[in-house]
Amino acid sequence: MSNHVIEESTSSATKELEQKQEKEKEEEEDEDDELQKLLLPDVSNLPSTPPSAVESNFAIYFALDFMKPGHDQYVYRHANGLCVIGLAPSHVSFKDEGGITAIDFNVGKSDRSGVKVTGKRKKNAQHFESNTALCKVSTKNDSYIVRCCVKGSLLEVNQQLIKQPELLNASADREGYIAIIMPKPADWLKIKASLVSVEEYKKLREVS
Amino acid sequence: MEQEEEKVSNAFIPSSLSSFDLEQVLHALPSNALNHLFSLGVCVRCVLRLFGIKGPICASVDNGSENPLDSTTSNEAKLCNICLGILQFRFYDDREKRVLQKDTAYDVALLIADMVKQERYQFDTFSLEVSIPPLILQNETSVWSYMQKKYGSEPWFQEKLHTGCISIKDALKFSLINPLENLLGCKSSLCPFRIRLTYTHTKALEGVAKCSENDGSCKRRKTGESDLIGQRPLSSTVEIESFDSSKLFLKSASEPCHFSYNCSRTPFYFGGRYLKYSRNVSQTRWIIDDERMGEASVEEIIGTKVLQACRGDNYKFHAAGREDIDVRMLGPGRPFILEVQNTRLVPTEQCANNIEKMINEVENKLVRVKNLKLVGSDGWNLMREGEAEKQKQYAALVWTSRPLKDEDFQQVSSLKDLKVVQRTPIRVLHRRSPLEREKIIHWMKIETVAGSSQYFLLHLCTQAGTYIKEFVHGDLGRTHPSIGSILGCRAEILQLDVTDIKMECFLT
Repeated sequence: MSNHVIEESTSSATKELEQKQEKEKEEEEDEDDELQKLLLPDVSNLPSTPPSAVESNFAIYFALDFMKPGHDQYVYRHANGLCVIGLAPSHVSFKDEGGITAIDFNVGKSDRSGVKVTGKRKKNAQHFESNTALCKVSTKNDSYIVRCCVKGSLLEVNQQLIKQPELLNASADREGYIAIIMPKPADWLKIKASLVSVEEYKKLREVS
Repeated sequence: MEQEEEKVSNAFIPSSLSSFDLEQVLHALPSNALNHLFSLGVCVRCVLRLFGIKGPICASVDNGSENPLDSTTSNEAKLCNICLGILQFRFYDDREKRVLQKDTAYDVALLIADMVKQERYQFDTFSLEVSIPPLILQNETSVWSYMQKKYGSEPWFQEKLHTGCISIKDALKFSLINPLENLLGCKSSLCPFRIRLTYTHTKALEGVAKCSENDGSCKRRKTGESDLIGQRPLSSTVEIESFDSSKLFLKSASEPCHFSYNCSRTPFYFGGRYLKYSRNVSQTRWIIDDERMGEASVEEIIGTKVLQACRGDNYKFHAAGREDIDVRMLGPGRPFILEVQNTRLVPTEQCANNIEKMINEVENKLVRVKNLKLVGSDGWNLMREGEAEKQKQYAALVWTSRPLKDEDFQQVSSLKDLKVVQRTPIRVLHRRSPLEREKIIHWMKIETVAGSSQYFLLHLCTQAGTYIKEFVHGDLGRTHPSIGSILGCRAEILQLDVTDIKMECFLT
């Protein structure tokens, strides 16, 4: 008689434990389901081509015929004030057959690719005017000077270009950027007046 | 009251003694030393202290009763040259902005108790802290070494003074503790609720306080603000060269000390995990040019509720890492500690539960809190421990410039512990050092999105400190490799969610 009672009580104890474990598992699954629901996007709301990282994070400007005709460059300005400088698609160098074959940062008084900027305060950064030479790009028959466009401290130049100048031909607007400059707020305002927006650029250069 | 037949010595004096017995106690002390001390302008309580006489005798001495040994005006009219009125209960009260003279320790305790009750603190015990100007200790040291020099050879010296004197702080605390316990209705102990008494003296004693047994060395100790020294061990000044010119100079103090008193509670800490469901809520308050970024912040949502519930003065929010304003924090949540200062109520576990409920039941459900509870100092260690090593898991909504195929999914899944080199992202380059940081992507998994061959969910688990957005879009090639470079196409990130913070703390 007593054995029977003991058996019953142990089996009900294990049943309780099982139930508890099941409940915990259910809760876990519920949480996972909830997470899944939150993560999955509604495809109907997604654009077929989303804006690029540059378009989302920078204000895009162009400097046309900078100091010389056909020398078109872009300036991407981030909300934090930094400016990325590069060659606009309409730059005269792209018209040469074969495109850009080499790049040289050793222009003016120093090799721009040599300076090491360190620390939060950006020590050792060189201060350049907007017309200071940044680098020289060469095509089969010609070479062109690329300038800062923006007065400020040169934080970095794109070292990758030295080994892979073809980046300029393939994606001058992204991986082929040339340099990053940090202007003072007042200097930015001065130069901004002479830059054009994306819409104006498209109109002036008859690009779609 | 009964008189105890005990021999009056340095032993503990029972509380039943009346002021009549003060006379008895004083008579038991060597009268030459006693008179000398009184003539130096030392108050009765300081004399008793110097002789190491403990016990309620210190408390029961009424300022109103005259010093029985002094036939002239009692020393109570003049400010004591050692305690500057502290033990005479005379002080400039910072609250009433005038000099007060209280008769007993009880009267002083009354002032303090009133202040405590005004603030409506909840407490079941209190700790009393006293701070006195270093000047006083200097004076005491001077008197003490002078006494030692003058009477060191007398037979009673060793016996009476071997217990050493009772410090002013101890004497004051001792006289105030019992009345305070009665007035506040609880015992004192070491605890977070602190009653702080601060005595300061605005003017340092002008001139020189010196024991001129050694003129040379004392000249260095001119009393000026910059020269005030802390407590010196009493034995250090006894460097007796000659007994001849034993003079002691103590300039009389003209004003009593400033006395200010307040109470506060040491900070309490709540620990837990938070989830952030909104893409427009920053982690901490973020204001640029007087304008708030985002519609709210996690720290304010949690902090204001805690502050309200505990009636505290202010809070400090500390989290294990952070996420961007447009990144949701999902899954088990991110560990955080909220420090709340000077609470009027004593926080309890129940309190933590209520706060958690209040935060989670808010209508707009921007932030959720889990496992909120009180934590001690070990909470910090749990959070900081291995913060840099912990792995984080994310889910990113990614778009690629070409449709993806099974081979692409396989390729991405096969990459384990992938090393990526990230130059400081342009978006933080203005405030961080330009460096190259090597990070590890532990694993990746692509989850397809129904209805699209160019959008998918990228699940990845990375080393702490990895910039995920830059790993997806490549940051103009400054993060390498990137999803785009791995798949040989352009990749953009639309949304990012943190899905797990792999840390041990605050999981229950």
